Amino acid sequence: MNPHRRPVSIALRAGVLVWFWAAIGVAQAAAPAPAPEPAPTPAAAAAPATDPVAAQASSDAPPADFKTLDQEVQGVKKDVIELNKDLFVLEENLLFPANTQVAVYLSMDVGTFFALDSVTIKIDNKEVANYLYTAREVSALLKGGVQRIYLGNQKVGKHEIVAFFVGKGPHGIDYRRGAALTFDKGIGAKYVELKITDHVPKHQPEFVIKDWE
Amino acid sequence: MRGGSRLAGVALAALISTSAVAASPLVGKPAPDFALKGLDGNNLRLSEYRGQVVLINFWARWAGDSRVEIPALDRINTTYHRAGLVVLGVSVDEDEAHASEFASAMRVSYPILFDTGPRIGRDYSLRTMPMTVLVDRSGVVRYVKVGYKRGDDRAFVDQIRQLLRE
Repeated sequence: MNPHRRPVSIALRAGVLVWFWAAIGVAQAAAPAPAPEPAPTPAAAAAPATDPVAAQASSDAPPADFKTLDQEVQGVKKDVIELNKDLFVLEENLLFPANTQVAVYLSMDVGTFFALDSVTIKIDNKEVANYLYTAREVSALLKGGVQRIYLGNQKVGKHEIVAFFVGKGPHGIDYRRGAALTFDKGIGAKYVELKITDHVPKHQPEFVIKDWE
Repeated sequence: MRGGSRLAGVALAALISTSAVAASPLVGKPAPDFALKGLDGNNLRLSEYRGQVVLINFWARWAGDSRVEIPALDRINTTYHRAGLVVLGVSVDEDEAHASEFASAMRVSYPILFDTGPRIGRDYSLRTMPMTVLVDRSGVVRYVKVGYKRGDDRAFVDQIRQLLRE
């Protein structure tokens, strides 16, 4: 639903409702007159003059019924969002149970000596992720963003993770480096972080794989 | 009588065209996302163009119709780019070097990307080249045209205008 349309639609509905009540009021005021062609009584003549004022006041504050309906709609929307979130969490838990879950994250710091182009991840010599970065994604990483590059299932035990980083190194030369880590997958979920940092004394980028317990 | 048969012919052609578009399994579904390297060395991701109308043209150097279609798409891009249209040319040639040479020679104003893997072809059910896909502002495929004949660009323009108005 377009949020900009809602106030207009409420005002419109309120206007229609006010008009409806005003029409009923006029009809009721006119009904008791006994003559076939009743002359407008002072009360009936005054009624239309007072109605626009009432309409103005009513259009400023929507009737309570509509307010309640709007609140109910908002409540239902909130429930749907909550339900969606719960479903997402349940799906993740079902697909990647904690006892087999391995998640790999990527972060970047400074990035003066390395312009990231792509990352390939292998676990136990099997390619599990290959990601090509756009300029906007690299910019987001440099601003402190952390990307979940891989989420999968691995058996309990020792595993080797190898990450290949491709991009432009110092002086704009093509750069390809690898980093490896052997980790022990326990019963709980395993989190691994790939970090790209600048090694200032060497004027070279540094690629580190960190094992988060 | 002649007018009537002509009208029937046009209606039949429209019906065939509509059924060809409706037959595509992609129409009405979210466009499969991809990130590819461009001719200028920059990577582009389809999902980053959400909010704009995107025309994706899958082409190959060996497909003769591509040579006719690419200049027509370039004209469309020049006209409608400022209105919010993004044209992406995706080469499916296995030989990237030759595709790059060909793309440079065509001198198009829109980004040319290179796809050398099998995934995107599978996601978009690529069987015949060229193939053009129109994606609306919310990332849903709205039109698919397989092959290209002279004059098809008019149909593209009609679709693009409609999507740009939404």
